[in-house]
Amino acid sequence: MTRTLKLTGQILALAAVGGLLGLLVWRLTHQSHPPKIGGPAPNFSLRRIDGTGKLDLASLRGKPVVLNFWASWCVPCKGEATLLEQAWRQYKGSGVVFVGVDYHDVASDARTFLAHHGITYPTVQDGSGMIGDRYGLTGVPETYFIDRRGRLVGTHIVGTITNQVAAFHDGIQAALHQ
Amino acid sequence: MIVRLLAAAAAALALAGPAAACAHPKTSLAYLEGQIMCPTCHTTLDQSDAPAAQQIKAEIAKRIGQCWSAQQIESELVGNFGQGILAAPPHKGFDLLAWWLPIGGVVLGALVLAGGVWRWSRTREPDQPESGLDEDTERKLDELLARLD
Repeated sequence: MTRTLKLTGQILALAAVGGLLGLLVWRLTHQSHPPKIGGPAPNFSLRRIDGTGKLDLASLRGKPVVLNFWASWCVPCKGEATLLEQAWRQYKGSGVVFVGVDYHDVASDARTFLAHHGITYPTVQDGSGMIGDRYGLTGVPETYFIDRRGRLVGTHIVGTITNQVAAFHDGIQAALHQ
Repeated sequence: MIVRLLAAAAAALALAGPAAACAHPKTSLAYLEGQIMCPTCHTTLDQSDAPAAQQIKAEIAKRIGQCWSAQQIESELVGNFGQGILAAPPHKGFDLLAWWLPIGGVVLGALVLAGGVWRWSRTREPDQPESGLDEDTERKLDELLARLD
C-alpha cells in the first residue's frame, strides 16, 4: 500500500515537472521574433475601423503596401496624418495601397481622428496590439513597406515620417520596384 | 411673448442639462482604474499617466456619466482591446483555472506535507537501549539468567 502510494506520488511529481518543462519549451518555441527585411510580412485579418468587415493583408498580394501603425492618443501621429493622406493620393495611381493600423486605441476616438484628418485609405483596428507585437513594434507611429510578393522591404520608419520624408519615399519606391 | 418663450426654453435647457447626466452612478473611476490595464505600459490605469491610459480613463469617465455599470464598461473595453485589458481574468470558462489552480496547488501541497508528517511520525520507532551484544550471546545470557532464577 505504502509502496503504491510512493510510486503514485513519484509519477505525479514527474508528470508535474514534465508539464512545466513542456510549457517552457512551448513558450521558447512560440516567441514572436520581429520580422526581417526581405522576409514575409506577418499576415493579419483585422476589423476595419473606417467601414464594415475585415481586411486581410494577404488579399493585397500583388500590390505594394504601406503599413502605418498609429493611435489617436499619439501626438506625433497627428503630425504625420495629413502627410500620409497626401502621399496616398500621390501614389494610389501607381497601385500602392496604404493601410492604417490603429494600435491599442478606443475605436470611437480613432474614428474621430480619421474624420478630423480626412483619412481616406483603409484603416483596421488592432485593439489588443497582437499584430503590432508580431511586427515588433516599439511604439507608434511606425511605418512598414511591403512589396508585391508580400515581403518587407526598405527600412521601416520608427517615429513620425514628417522628419524622415526622404526615407519614407525611398521605402515606397522599394515596395514599388522590388 | 417671444422673450417669455425664450426664457422658458433657456430654463428648460438649464434643467435638462444636469438631468441628462447620471444622478446615481453605478460605479466609480477609482474602482475601474484598479480593474483595467493600460495596454501600452502593462500596469493598471491607476498607476499610469501614459497617453493611452489617459484616453481610457476619459472613456470610462464618459461611460460612468452615462450611468453605465462596471460590467458594461468592462465589456465594451474587452470588445475594443481584448481580454488583456482586464487586470484579472474573468470568473468563468477556461479563465476559472487562473483562480482555482493556485488554490488547488496550495491545498495539494498541504495534503502532501500532512501525509509526509503522518508517515514520518508512524515509521519513527521509540529509542530502545542497545545492549551491544550479538544475538547469540544475548540468547546464551538469557538462558543463563533463566537457570539462575
